[in-house]
Formats: sequence, structure tokens, C-alpha cells
Amino acid sequence: MGKRPPITNRVRELREEHGKMSQAALGDAVGVTRHTIIAIEQGRYSPSLETAFRIARLFGVGVEDVFGWEGE
Amino acid sequence: MAFREKSAWVMMVVMILTGGFYLATVAQDPGAPVLVAVLPYVLMVVLASIVAQVALAIWSPREASAPADERERMVADRASRWSSTVMEVGVVMAGAAYLAFPNGNMLFHHAIFALIIAQIVNYAMQIALLRRSF
Repeated sequence: MGKRPPITNRVRELREEHGKMSQAALGDAVGVTRHTIIAIEQGRYSPSLETAFRIARLFGVGVEDVFGWEGE
Repeated sequence: MAFREKSAWVMMVVMILTGGFYLATVAQDPGAPVLVAVLPYVLMVVLASIVAQVALAIWSPREASAPADERERMVADRASRWSSTVMEVGVVMAGAAYLAFPNGNMLFHHAIFALIIAQIVNYAMQIALLRRSF
């Protein structure tokens, strides 16, 4: 549980590219709390597939443009 | 601090304080009649929980009315798993104590203590998991 998930993401970068959208606004738009967005950005939490798709669709990109796999 | 974490902290403090009151009551007479010990305890827990949750809702009305998100639900599930284990061990220990001290009132008090400790563990685990995520 203490191990970080082997998943990288560009959520913070995409948020900033989209008019510096706040974490709270992104959370509201995809149905999670601001604290969950913070945890995702810090790589401490891997969102569900549904939330990953919601984030990607909100930014108008594919899921693999937002999330990447850094493990073996 | 997230609303769920604040709520878990408040409820953990409520359970520790009211549990301490119950412990003090039962420590004076381990075989105390069930209603004499439990009724004031239950009233205290209910009242303190209502007051604490209303205060939190007034403080953060938007977050209080929002449903738990996926991460918070996962945290609640994992914390429940831990507290269930504590409850199971506590009930077995209460049963074992009954073999040594066959007193029905005492068995009841031990089971209530198991429940109190399980609840404290549940809130403590929620706090830890919300801070660490996964």
C-alpha cells in the first residue's frame, strides 16, 4: 500500500495548458474531490478507468496522452 | 485537510472520549448491569456524534453534502476491513474471557469494548489511508 503505483500522469501539465484550471474545478468536472486530484497529480493514487477517461475527455486527448506506465 | 479526514478525526475523538467514560463506569464494577452502563454511553455517543457532524457541516457545508468519491469509498472499504478483523479478535477474546469469568454482563461489556476499539481503528485507518492515498 505504501508503494507508489507505476503510473505517471500529465494531469498538472494539462490543467495548466487549459487556462490554469484549478484542482477543485477539475475535480468537480470529473466527479472527485480536490484532494483526489492532488493525490493523482502527486502519483499517490491511480484513478479508476472511468475517472481516467473523464479526465482525458475533458482535456480533449486520449487516455494514453494523460497516463503512462513506468513499470516493467 | 479533506472533509472526510476531519470527520474521521472528530469521530475518533468522540469514540475515545465516550469509550473512556464507558471504561471508567465498567472499571468500577466489571459486572455492572448492562443498561446502567450502556444507556448513558449510547446517549453520549449519539449526542456527541450529532453535535460533531452538525458542527462540521456548518463549517464546510459544500463538502459535507457531497457524496464520497471513488478514493474516499476505497479508503472506507479498506478501513472497514481492518476494523472487522479487530472486532472478530475482540469478540473471540470476549468469549475466552467468559470461559474464565462466566458473567453475562461482563461478556456484554467486553463485546462493547471490542466494538469501540474496532471503531477507533476504523477512523484511525481512514485518517492514515486518506493521508497516504495508495
